[in-house]
Formats: sequence, structure tokens, C-alpha cells
Amino acid sequence: MRSCLIVDDSVVIRKLVRTIIEDFDFECHDAEHGEAALNFCKTNPLPTLVMLDWNMPVMNGLDFLKSLRTLDNGSAPVVIFCTTENDMTHIQMALEAGANDFIMKPFDKEIVRGKLEQNHLWEPR
Amino acid sequence: MDDIIAEFIAETNENLEELDNDLVTLEQDPDNEQLISQIFRVIHTIKGTCGFLGLSRLESVAHKGEDVLGLFRDKKLDVKPAYVSVIFEAFDVIKEIVGAIEETGQEPTGDDSQLIGKLEAIYRGEDLDTTAAAETVDQPQEENLIDDLEGGVWDDVPAVTAEEFGVAEQGGHEDTDDHDHVLDHGPDHIQDHEDDHKQAGKVKQQAGAASNLSLRVSVDVLENLMTMVSELVLTRNQLLQIARQNSDNDYLSSSLQRLNLVVSELQEGVMKTRMQPVSNAWGKLPRIVRDVSQELGKKVDLEMHGQDTELDRQVLDLIKDPLTHMVRNSVDHGIESPEERAAKGKPETGKIILNAYHQAGHINIEISDDGKGLSTEKIRQKILEKNLATKEELEEFSTQQIQQFIFHASFSTAEKVTAVSGRGVGMDVVRNNIEKIGGSIEMRSEEHKGTTFTIRIPLTLAIMSSLIVGIGGQRFAVPQLAVSELVLVGRESGYKIEDINDSPVLRLREQLLPLVSLSGLFGIEDPDPDGAKYVVVTKVGAYMFGLVVDDVYEFEEIVVKPLASNLKNISVFSGNTILGDGNVIMILDPVGILKTVGVQDVVDNQIEEGHNIKATTRETLLLLFRAGDETLKAVPVDMVSRLEEIKIRDIEYSKGNQVIQYLDRLMPVFNMDKNKNDSTSRPLIILKHEGKNAGLMVDQIIDVAKYHGEFQDNSNDNVLDSIIINENAADIINAALLANKGVIISEDSVHG
Repeated sequence: MRSCLIVDDSVVIRKLVRTIIEDFDFECHDAEHGEAALNFCKTNPLPTLVMLDWNMPVMNGLDFLKSLRTLDNGSAPVVIFCTTENDMTHIQMALEAGANDFIMKPFDKEIVRGKLEQNHLWEPR
Repeated sequence: MDDIIAEFIAETNENLEELDNDLVTLEQDPDNEQLISQIFRVIHTIKGTCGFLGLSRLESVAHKGEDVLGLFRDKKLDVKPAYVSVIFEAFDVIKEIVGAIEETGQEPTGDDSQLIGKLEAIYRGEDLDTTAAAETVDQPQEENLIDDLEGGVWDDVPAVTAEEFGVAEQGGHEDTDDHDHVLDHGPDHIQDHEDDHKQAGKVKQQAGAASNLSLRVSVDVLENLMTMVSELVLTRNQLLQIARQNSDNDYLSSSLQRLNLVVSELQEGVMKTRMQPVSNAWGKLPRIVRDVSQELGKKVDLEMHGQDTELDRQVLDLIKDPLTHMVRNSVDHGIESPEERAAKGKPETGKIILNAYHQAGHINIEISDDGKGLSTEKIRQKILEKNLATKEELEEFSTQQIQQFIFHASFSTAEKVTAVSGRGVGMDVVRNNIEKIGGSIEMRSEEHKGTTFTIRIPLTLAIMSSLIVGIGGQRFAVPQLAVSELVLVGRESGYKIEDINDSPVLRLREQLLPLVSLSGLFGIEDPDPDGAKYVVVTKVGAYMFGLVVDDVYEFEEIVVKPLASNLKNISVFSGNTILGDGNVIMILDPVGILKTVGVQDVVDNQIEEGHNIKATTRETLLLLFRAGDETLKAVPVDMVSRLEEIKIRDIEYSKGNQVIQYLDRLMPVFNMDKNKNDSTSRPLIILKHEGKNAGLMVDQIIDVAKYHGEFQDNSNDNVLDSIIINENAADIINAALLANKGVIISEDSVHG
């Protein structure tokens, strides 16, 4: 099964995102900050999808993204930045660093479905 | 989704707990980027999660708070106290809402428009009226605190029960798919602002209890476990007792040994689950110190040591409010204004230090400040004003005794009553509540230097180490916490019970210890009134007194059972327990005993600085010297006529006795160390008694010292009595006996 890495410092958000993402046939993994996520990526096959928070302790989302892009060898994970309107200014930076898309918190299943479709991770029915 | 809400509450509570302190630190250290990021992130996460959960009211407050914090982070706005106060206000509202969600499962309705308006104003860069902001935050909180101290909160241990969790879980009914409709019922209901604050006190306690737990277990379950373990401990004790009487069965005793071990470990384990670090009770203090000092225009640093010290959560809950009150008091009454401090040559910023540490099975918590200390003069005036003691009585009191009056009901020395403290509900409530859990409080203060309160509390209330004592064949338990010393009196012990002003006292290390005869108090007939007794030296706060008992058995871990309700008003007992042999015995309450016999009496008799002794006991000036062996020896100075230095070769013999020519007479000389004749000259004490004189040759004259107390002075022994002087034992030499063997030398010739 294809996998998704959910990176967020809030366990509540991770669970919420997981409940949504699992419905789209992803096997989900958690990381509480960028460094944990990076370690996961170094020791496991790269995930198909990364749902990435911006503001986290230890290593933030942008730094993780930059490191992730240096790791990747052919199989580039789709990285969707999960932001709030306060992070709007960061979106440009994120896209430049290699994010595929961004999604505004709070999101629901329908919004996620749209994003996955746009990134060819879900077939429109 | 249900458990998501519960988890959100746990996560948020955990984060919020730290938030207050972080923000206080930030205010002192505005350039700490890491700290501001951390605070920002917490609020950011709350806001982000709220969106998912459809908690619109919470989201909007967090959102506006985040906006301002973002400005702090990006250094577009200075971290000013006025702004921080508003952020604190936002934190409070967040806590209040989270607490309410936890309790009811619903986001409460309420109007945050005032707060949001303020946050928006700051965000837009408008200046705020500092005082207006501070007042709205602090005032209602103050009401709660005072209410807490006055009211029955003490009996009402806040507990998060399984039911409450159940409710919280049911509450999470929203789904991500349809969260939109939830947005509708948020801030539209306009409600009186006061109502919110009435709720706040209750809600805050709930929040405190639920945070910092990695595994959530209902407190009821733990309480229940504790009760059962207590029963198990009792049964074990009984079994051990039976086994001791039938020691021939090896099988039984080895099984019992194992049972004993397991039960002890189980007891320890269950106790541990109830332990919480004292920081749980301190968590809010930095914020309180900050708010209060802001309000009063003072600068105060709060230092905390020993935050990890653990104690039973029941005890912790019970001391939380007294502690808070005392710290507020320290800021309000203790620390001076910056100008006042500067004028005294102290640093402008005052310091309050909290320290918690274990000491012999109990916990000490010290609260000290470097403020103005207590003015003994003001307390004195207040005592007279309130008619708590007469002028004559006051003269007799030591400084320490006078200071203890601040624990009296309705005693506040602040010249002006402030909103922060000093409404007459004060230290007496604090003391009562600490004593209620078997603790004690003491105060030491030095004017202009500061004040230190020391609270001593038991680790737990359920199981207590006690000294088992016997009175006329009946046994009683005395809490070990109160026992400071045991003294055997009567017979050959060297100590005896004396009567001063018709009350029994024990002279112990130059202090008079008032005694309470338990057989007298309980009306138990004493089978052997003249036999040896024990005095259990008992300490309650700064007061020491002795309990006279017939027997002392051992220290035992006893399980405290509350008194039946019809015995509750008997204050000399705090509970009962079942001993290993199955007997039920009463637990003595030293505080209750002190109150029953009359605190005033005890204070009257208490000797702290020695000046009371003058009135009641004999004072003797003694000449201390060494002669012969190492034992210190003494003679009363009024029996010494002169001190001379004599040459050994001047000693002559007359009828086999050593004599010396002294003022034209042959005066006998007594040598306490006949073997010591190597030195050429030695000191000679010339003793006088009823006109006769004799010399006493000694090795070394040491000192002249005052001795307070009686000694045997009518005897035919060479040594009259042994006493303790300047912490040394000394033999009083029978000077009269020696002088009587001497010769008459007229006073004229002595002084001539």
C-alpha cells in the first residue's frame, strides 16, 4: 500500500489528518517534528505523500522539506504543506523549496480529496 | 472523534500549563526568540486544531492572540507589560473555554468581543490604557481566591471523575465533514461578562487536575485502591502479630514474610501513583507574582527550588490555596516598593524564594522574601488594639512569640488594606488549613531583612508514621511529625517534673517545657504516679510542649481512619487506627491538645529567650574551673572570696594536711589532683562560708557563667549536683563543706 507521512507537532492534528488520509488508501506514519520526519525518511522507503505542518519545534517544515529534497532519488514524494492564513507569506518560500501544494487548515475530507486529485493521487469518480 | 476531543483537551491543558510561566519569563527576557516561538506555536496549534474541531469561540480568541504574538516574534512590537496582560487575559479565556469543554463537552457561549477588541487594537498598533487592562484581568480572579480561602473549597477536593471524562467524550460529536454548522452557535450569544468569571474558578481547577498525566486514571479508582491497600496493610499487621505468637510454623512464617514484602511494595506503589511533583501546586505562582507585582508597581523575582519534590495529590490540593495566598502576601506585604528598597540600599527587584524538600518522612516548604520583614512594634500595637494580650503579658513575650500572633484570627498588619491581600482573612485561615492536614507552619522574620515561612506537611494523609505510647495501660498514637524528642523523667534519669505556678514543667536544656499530663486530660487513673514517666516533646509550629505518658512502645506505620462523626468534635483526637494485634487505638492530635489545654497558657509558660526564667527560677553565678580530671567543675561565685596564684613550694604541712600561710593564718588547702605537683605555681580559689575560709587548688580557672535553675545544695557529698551549663556538664563542688573545714579569717584582713 502507498504510504503517507504526517508531520505535525500536535498529536490531535496528526490523528485528525490520519483519519482523513486513511480513507484514501494510504498507510499512515507519524512524525512530531521535521527531524523525526527526516529520520523516518532516511530509514524507510520514501512515502508517496507528506502532509507537512509549517511551525514545529526542533526542525520546522521548511527545513525538513529542503533536506527531504536532497534525499530524494527519483521517487519524489508529493509534499502538501498544511498551513493557516498566518503562514500565507511562507507559501511562496515553501513552493520554491519544492512543495507540491498547500492546504489551508482547517480542512476536511472533501478539500483533501480535491488536493489529492490535483496531484494525481486519487482518481475522480 | 470522541477521543480526539479528549486528547485535544489533554494536549491543550498540558501546553497551557507551561504557557503562563513561559510568558512571565518572556516579559523579563523579551529577546528570547526561542521562547516566543514556543509560545506562538502553542497558540498556533490550538488555533489550528480548533478549526478542525469546530470550536469557533476558542479559535477566534487563539487567532487574535496569535496575531499579537506573531508581532512579538517578528519584533514588530515590543513585549510590554500592558500587552502581556492582555495576552494573559486571552490565555485565561482559552483555559476557561477548554475547561468548560472538558466539563460539559460543549464549547461554552460567551462574549469575547472586549478581549478581541483589545487584541485587535494591539495588533493595529494602538496604545492601551494599562490600568484598565490590568483591572479587568485581575479583579475577578481576586474574588475567586478570597472566596476559596473563606469557603468550603478545602473540603471539596477537586477530582476529575470518570463521569466527567465520559461527558467530555460524548461532547465530541462534531465530525470534520460537517463542522461548518457548528461555527454558527459560537460568539453570538451575548452574556454578562461576570458570569464567565464565576465559572472560571471552577473550570481552572479542573484544568489543573487533568494535565500532566500520561495515563488518565480516575482519581476515584486510585482512592479506592488506596483504601483497599490500607485494609490489606492492617490485615498483614494482624497476621504478622499472630505469626509472632506462633513462631513454630516455618511454613507459615516464610509465606508471611513474602506477603509482608509484597504488601509493602504494593503500598509503596499505590502511594506513588498518588504522588505529584510540588510544581503542580506552584505552576500558577509566577503568573500570580507577576500580576500582583504589576498591580502594586513592585518588582519581584520568583525563584523556585525543589519543584520535583513529590507529595500526595490530596495533600497537594489542600496546600495549593494556602501557598498561593502566602505568596501573594509576600508580594503585597513583604516586598517593598522599588523606591523604598532603593532608599534602604537593597536591589530594586525583590526576591521571593520557594523551596521544597523532604525531611524525615515529611515535606518542608519554605517561602522566603527579602522584603521589609515584620515590624514587631506594629504587631505589638495591633495585639493591644485587638485586646489579644495585656501590656504586661506583652512585656514577657519574646520577639518570636509576638510574631506568631500574625496567625491569630483577623490579624493584618498592612497599613492600608489592598485588593490583593489583607482583608482579615489571612494567616489564620492558612494556618488552620495546614493544621487540618496534620501540618504546621512557622514564621521567622527580621525587620528590613525579610520573612521566612516554613510549612511542614506530611507526605500523605492515608498512612502515617506514629509513635505508640501508653497511658495507664491504654495505648495512643502520636503522629511522628510532631514528635521531636523523648525524655525519661523521674527515678535516676536526672530529669524531674517540676511545678511552676501550679503547672507542670520540665527543665530541658535551660528551657522550661510546659507539660500536659495525658492521664489528667483523659481522666485515666495513673496506677503509679511516682514512677518513671516519659515526656514526648511535641512541636506544633513554634510551640513546644511535652506530653507525659507512662510507656513508649514503637514507631509504627498506621492507617488513619477518620473519627466517627459523633466524635468529630473531640479535638484532642484526629482519628483512630487498628494496630497489628487488632486493638483499635486513638490518634492524638497535638494541635487539638494544645488548643484544649489553652494555647495561651502554653505561650505564657514558653521560655524562648530566657527572660521568663528570671521571674520563676533561681539564677546562680558560677565560677567554672578544671581540676584533676577533664570534668568541668563549678562553685557559686558568692562562695568565692578571692582568686590567688600560689607557688607549690609555699605549701606547708600541718598535722598531715596541706596548708598555706594566708593573711597571717594557716589556711587549709584542698588539692583535687594530688598527683599533679609538677608545675611551680597553680591557681587557688579561696572559698568562704559562714566566715570560714579554705583554699581549693585547681588546674585552670575557666570562666564565670550564669546558671538558670535549681541544684541540690544541701548535702555532705563533695559533689553537690551535676548540671548542664553552656552545653557542658559540670559538677558543682560542695564549697560549704570545704570552707567549713577552714579557718576564720576576718573580712577586714581579707580586704586589707
